[in-house]
Amino acid sequence: MSAASERARAIVDRMADRMLRASVLERFALAVASTTLALLIGSVIVWATGYDAVEFVSSLLYGAVGNISNIAFTLRQSTMLILTGVAVAVAFRAGVFNIGVQGQFVVGGFATALTILFLAPLLPGGIVGGVLLMALGTIVAIVAGGAYGAVPGLMKAYADANEVITTIMLNFIASGVIYFFIDAYLRPAGTSAPNTESFPEYVGLPGFAFGSSSFSVIGLGIALLTALVVYVVMARTSFGYDLVTSGHQESAAAYSGVDPKRTVVTTMTFSGMVAGLAGAMFAIMILGYYSDPSSFPSFGFDAIAVSLLAANNPLGVVPAGLLFGGLDAGGQYIGFTLDVPAELVDGVVGLIVLFVAAPELFRMSARRLGLGGEDR
Amino acid sequence: MSDTTAPAVELDGITKRFGDVVANDEVDLTVEQGTVHALVGENGAGKTTLMSVLYGLYDIDGGTIRVDGEERTFDSPRDAIDAGVGMVHQHFELVDPMTVIQNIILGQEPTERGLVDEDSARTTVEDVCDRYGFDVDQYLDTRVEDIGVGVQQRVEIVKSLYRGADTLILDEPTAVLTPQEVEELFDVMEELTASGRSLIFITHKLDEAMAVADEITVLRDGKSVGTVDGAETTEQELARMMVGRDVLFEGQERTTEPGEEILAVDGLQVRDDRDLRQVEGIDLSVRSGEVLGIAGVDGNGQAELVEAITGLRRVESGTVSFDGADITTASRRERIESGIAYIPEDRQEEGLVQDYDLVRNALLGNQTIEQFVDGGFVDWGAVRAHAADIVSEYDVQPPHVEAEAGSLSGGNQQKFVVGRELKHDPDLVVASHPTRGVDIGSIEFIHNRLHEMRDEGMAILLVSSKLDEVQKLSDRLAVMHEGEFVDVVDPDDVTEEELGLLMAGRQRGGGEYEQPGEAESAEVDGGAGS
Repeated sequence: MSAASERARAIVDRMADRMLRASVLERFALAVASTTLALLIGSVIVWATGYDAVEFVSSLLYGAVGNISNIAFTLRQSTMLILTGVAVAVAFRAGVFNIGVQGQFVVGGFATALTILFLAPLLPGGIVGGVLLMALGTIVAIVAGGAYGAVPGLMKAYADANEVITTIMLNFIASGVIYFFIDAYLRPAGTSAPNTESFPEYVGLPGFAFGSSSFSVIGLGIALLTALVVYVVMARTSFGYDLVTSGHQESAAAYSGVDPKRTVVTTMTFSGMVAGLAGAMFAIMILGYYSDPSSFPSFGFDAIAVSLLAANNPLGVVPAGLLFGGLDAGGQYIGFTLDVPAELVDGVVGLIVLFVAAPELFRMSARRLGLGGEDR
Repeated sequence: MSDTTAPAVELDGITKRFGDVVANDEVDLTVEQGTVHALVGENGAGKTTLMSVLYGLYDIDGGTIRVDGEERTFDSPRDAIDAGVGMVHQHFELVDPMTVIQNIILGQEPTERGLVDEDSARTTVEDVCDRYGFDVDQYLDTRVEDIGVGVQQRVEIVKSLYRGADTLILDEPTAVLTPQEVEELFDVMEELTASGRSLIFITHKLDEAMAVADEITVLRDGKSVGTVDGAETTEQELARMMVGRDVLFEGQERTTEPGEEILAVDGLQVRDDRDLRQVEGIDLSVRSGEVLGIAGVDGNGQAELVEAITGLRRVESGTVSFDGADITTASRRERIESGIAYIPEDRQEEGLVQDYDLVRNALLGNQTIEQFVDGGFVDWGAVRAHAADIVSEYDVQPPHVEAEAGSLSGGNQQKFVVGRELKHDPDLVVASHPTRGVDIGSIEFIHNRLHEMRDEGMAILLVSSKLDEVQKLSDRLAVMHEGEFVDVVDPDDVTEEELGLLMAGRQRGGGEYEQPGEAESAEVDGGAGS
């Protein structure tokens, strides 16, 4: 009995050690293996519920990466999930639970739309005007998202209001107020849908090789650059050190001269700025006009799962965002083409996420239990 | 108590390795029934490892364990508890929001038809308390977070007794206690041995070991150096066994005279987190090349005073000046940048980020110092070199800058914090309990560093509840009681007894300070329950 438990412990210990030392390449290989395994189990479930498992899996894959336009759709979703995922990661890293990325995201997009629609008549048209409008729209979106993120930050710092609750409430407020403005003032006369006018046709990102009207590699590039910049800020600057230290151990951060209240506000502002940038990307690259935010995809919520899968590491958000983007695209494709219940699709997608997250969960618990280290 | 003739615990040739490190090397230890056996040694000498082996937390690589004469192998603490071995850890293992009785019966709840039978548990626990004269029974329905540290410790002891422990391991039980609470603990220990229980008392405070132990075993570098009779040994003998060389207990003579005033505090009043005034109008002044010691029982406003000076707590009224400038409202960061170093009381919560490695901890508090940060970007190479300097200069073990702070022993954590703070080249060092929980080799080292710093012209404000420490290090010694200075004395011209009376708030004949205990000081909470 004791020998057996000892041996089991030794095996777990060795596994934990191996997992904690895994290189980036090994982790990637693990993720691929996990996805494959999850797809195998998922197809058994699909088969057992009486549907065609082969068709299901092949549709999922085809929908994600099957042809150039499906890849474009995957990358478009990934772009949004990477940006919103980075926004979540920034806050979680600093120990602040910003559940309001969705709200900051729709506020940012609305700010972009307002900027473009109001400034377009005042500026020259053509490429110059387009670039100028997009740049200004993006800057305004970052400011607006940051400001909307600062609100719950201020409430937490100076009124002790729990940020989880305030950010969720502010999500609803953002959607409702924006809907009201669009419906009351921005809806072109004679239309019934709560949409603004379309942006001028010279505003938009070129599709390049993908030939898509709603995806551009420039957008993806901005998302990747954002992840990299945020990573560098968090890992290499004293500002990032202040934030991350506050997230790890607030009392030690205060001891080191970090003002905890101010840090909550700057964290929420920083996180909101990235969410605002995601909103600008959504308005410019994907929509080309603005609409009722409650009809938008819930990127800001899916981003929480993306960030957690990436262990709140801004660079890890990139592969996590790509995976989620692919699953989203594949799942939607199945919804269009196969007569399979949506719950089954969600179930298999959930299974894949669980399997991919498992190694990280294992690592986290191993670290907490002190397995795999030699010094304990 | 099965067999009263066989030793309570007999460890024979215990060997425990962690990788290449031998934490216990053929250690023998015999604890006779009904005695206190002290286990002393420096941090990292293997005391806690040895006791973890006895408590079933680690399996052994060699040797045998006998309890009451019977050979045993423990796979888990459960086995150890079943054999009558209990352990009170240094950091209590209590669930704060649960009541005392719930904590005591946790894991061994008496049940009646599947439901916890708290009434019968209560009777049993009250019996235990009666038998040993514990006051814990009056707190049974109080939540653990609402009782003081000393009481929490007694709850831990009652918990072990409730589980039927005949042999109790106390892991550095005095580290968290005030002098009064230490006395109470010693009384409890006496009661326990009088009733036939055996105690293993882990400590690195030699005077405590000598005060309560029947026998003392000294560990050094994982080996047992020897066992001596508690009544016959001397502090010098024990220190030599522990460190392997003679240790100087005397302070060094000062080489310079104090210079200009660095820190001036005037009429300072400070409130604590519960909005009670803890500092009741303090005036003090520290000059360069001078150590001002503040002695007092913990919880008499020292912590709030220190936090107000270092910028971690708002001042209610009065002023703090540093180097001639008023810094009463300056931020903590501004104070760090202007040259105030702070060795905090709580290294685990404040001084170090537990899951950062030493490199990242070396930046803590230095985030805006030019040497390490350029245009907002951290020069991690410089920080790493700085961490390596601290580790080698302050002899931090293990000497790896990649080690996580939380994996270091308390003494080594403290050496790292002291090193980091003193290497700032500050003008003022505020040191709060700088040697709490530190082994005597390191204490000597830290004391010497503080004296060197003083001789180099630094101003030092030292707060400690250890009388020998403040007496040895201070040039002037203020005694704090209920938020006020009772008196400021010459440390060479006062006895421990006199200091003890001053700490209790009784004044020596006709000082210039007000009588404490009057008017508003009466509302100050004496520190219980914090």
